[in-house]
Amino acid sequence: MKTLAIIIGKITLIFGKILKRGSSLPGKLALFIDKDILKKLKYPEIKIAVTGSSGKGSTSKLIAKVLKDNNYKVTFNNEGSNLDWGIATAILKDCNLYGKITSDALVLEIDERFAKVIFEKINPDYLVLTNLTKDQPPRQHHVDIVYHDIIDYLKPNIKIITNMDDPYLRNIEKDTNNKNIYYSIQKNKYSYKTQIFENLNIYYCPYCNTLLKYDYYNFEALGKYHCPNCDFKYQTPSVLGTNLNLEIGTISINDKEILIGGNMLYHAYNTLAAYTILKELKLKEDNLVKSLNKYNKILVKEYQNNNITFYPISCKAENSTTYNQALFKTIYDNRKKDIIIGWKEISRRYEHFDVSWLYDVEFELLNNETINKIYACGIDKDNIKKRLILAGIKPQKIITSDSIDDIKEKVLKDKIETVYGILNFDYIEPFNKAFKEEEK
Amino acid sequence: MITIANLYPKELNLYGENGNIKALAYALKQKKIKYKIINIDKENKLEFNKYDFIYLGSGRKAYLDIVKERLKPYKEDILNAIKKEKVFLVTGNALSILEFLDLYEINYYEERKVSDVTATCTLCNELIKGFQNTEYLIKTTSNLIFNIEQGYGNNDTLMEGYTYHNLYVTSLIGPLLARNEKLTNFFVELLTK
Repeated sequence: MKTLAIIIGKITLIFGKILKRGSSLPGKLALFIDKDILKKLKYPEIKIAVTGSSGKGSTSKLIAKVLKDNNYKVTFNNEGSNLDWGIATAILKDCNLYGKITSDALVLEIDERFAKVIFEKINPDYLVLTNLTKDQPPRQHHVDIVYHDIIDYLKPNIKIITNMDDPYLRNIEKDTNNKNIYYSIQKNKYSYKTQIFENLNIYYCPYCNTLLKYDYYNFEALGKYHCPNCDFKYQTPSVLGTNLNLEIGTISINDKEILIGGNMLYHAYNTLAAYTILKELKLKEDNLVKSLNKYNKILVKEYQNNNITFYPISCKAENSTTYNQALFKTIYDNRKKDIIIGWKEISRRYEHFDVSWLYDVEFELLNNETINKIYACGIDKDNIKKRLILAGIKPQKIITSDSIDDIKEKVLKDKIETVYGILNFDYIEPFNKAFKEEEK
Repeated sequence: MITIANLYPKELNLYGENGNIKALAYALKQKKIKYKIINIDKENKLEFNKYDFIYLGSGRKAYLDIVKERLKPYKEDILNAIKKEKVFLVTGNALSILEFLDLYEINYYEERKVSDVTATCTLCNELIKGFQNTEYLIKTTSNLIFNIEQGYGNNDTLMEGYTYHNLYVTSLIGPLLARNEKLTNFFVELLTK
């Protein structure tokens, strides 16, 4: 059955190539013929799984690109989905008829609820866990459920690359015997002393349930923490990012400046996650830095139109942490600004109309004098407006509209120095189409 | 002065449930009624005689059990506060916490109940909009609050919630008050009677 599944999968891949249609169909067919096909293949020595509530796509892509740049042949599910069909399709591409994957490294971006299947069938050597945050409540329910869906199925050989700055992720040390390899961002010019976010994932010590104390916060519950009652505390990580500069998009590791691929804090954390696993694979530091800088050019940055600076920030609807990062960015920008908030749809996975996550986003941070107008756009314009009013923002500052096109003229005419787009990724294109001159 | 006690927001903080406190505070402010919000953490003492409005919102399962154990010694204090017509609002899966009062029974579901909700009720003239994302629903089918048009009711019925004096317990989130202005006004009127 194994060989038949591989042959059918490969034939479907060839047809897909001829018809120029990429899909997860080859993997679907192979799994239909032999549901255990993924268990029966011979994998390369390096097997890396990347998961988390956000950042798993860009982090896994960066890991795969750097490995390729350093002459590794890499199998990576960059085209298909991060569930079994997509993963099987990617693997079939680099698999011979005997079931041997002919690459040097397997890099898989996996859905966090699907990790347990990959642990059982492929048994990776490394799990890069970017983060675990509030995300898609109707599907994920809450973070403990996702945590246990990953941790309870870990095999003892799997080494975990994750973030020292997040005390919630230190639960893994408590609950498993797996080796943890950490990265962290040192105190920087954006760090703060008094918490500015509510509804965090963790406040109390994972060991003795005492309120954690912080020397500083980097963002939400991330920072340098210690328990005043027991030995639990932030510890020196394997990789420490220093001199974070989000304006130019850089961080330093061992005094070498590295591009982070954007201007957001999550770009820095994702880059550190990639750096940590690649260092673990013994890539030479100079080559690693060179490759990271080659692929981490800033993809999204501000642009000018009509003497206004436009800044689109891609967030993930139903993930309050990504919106909080965007809002966090606006508060250390002292320029006078308009803010546009919106999305086409909350979820492509289901039809639920849950807006509770809006109340996990700290829109209270927009309650400051640098904000001129806030535009609430799209299907949830009224819910966004309600949330903003309850955040203390004056109703006269809030304008609702069905689309970005409807407010385009007003925004351009108002000529406020800066316009931030705090948008679901499905609204980035309409935003750029409206305001980026060359894309008109 | 209305005193709002938000119980254990560091532990019961799923689904933006503190939006209920924000909505209530906003409505009070609109009506120029003075209020103060006290966030009660586990390190703080509970004094039910000092509160006018007591709120419990959704939390992760581990915390629901911890908070329930913490509140059990206050059973008589809570029952007395209810009889003195103090207003209690309990939303989402926090309904499991006050089970120990023995006023109502609950059902646990291995598969969580997740649904949009539309409902009507006698508390206000408004089509209630909300959401459910819970492993617990109320089992008792008396002292109901909502007639469910869409969503899950108590014990497989189309009626949801539990009320006794000014205790209001419901599986609905939303946040419920933030999405339903007239229902918020009902609570404002209750507090200012």
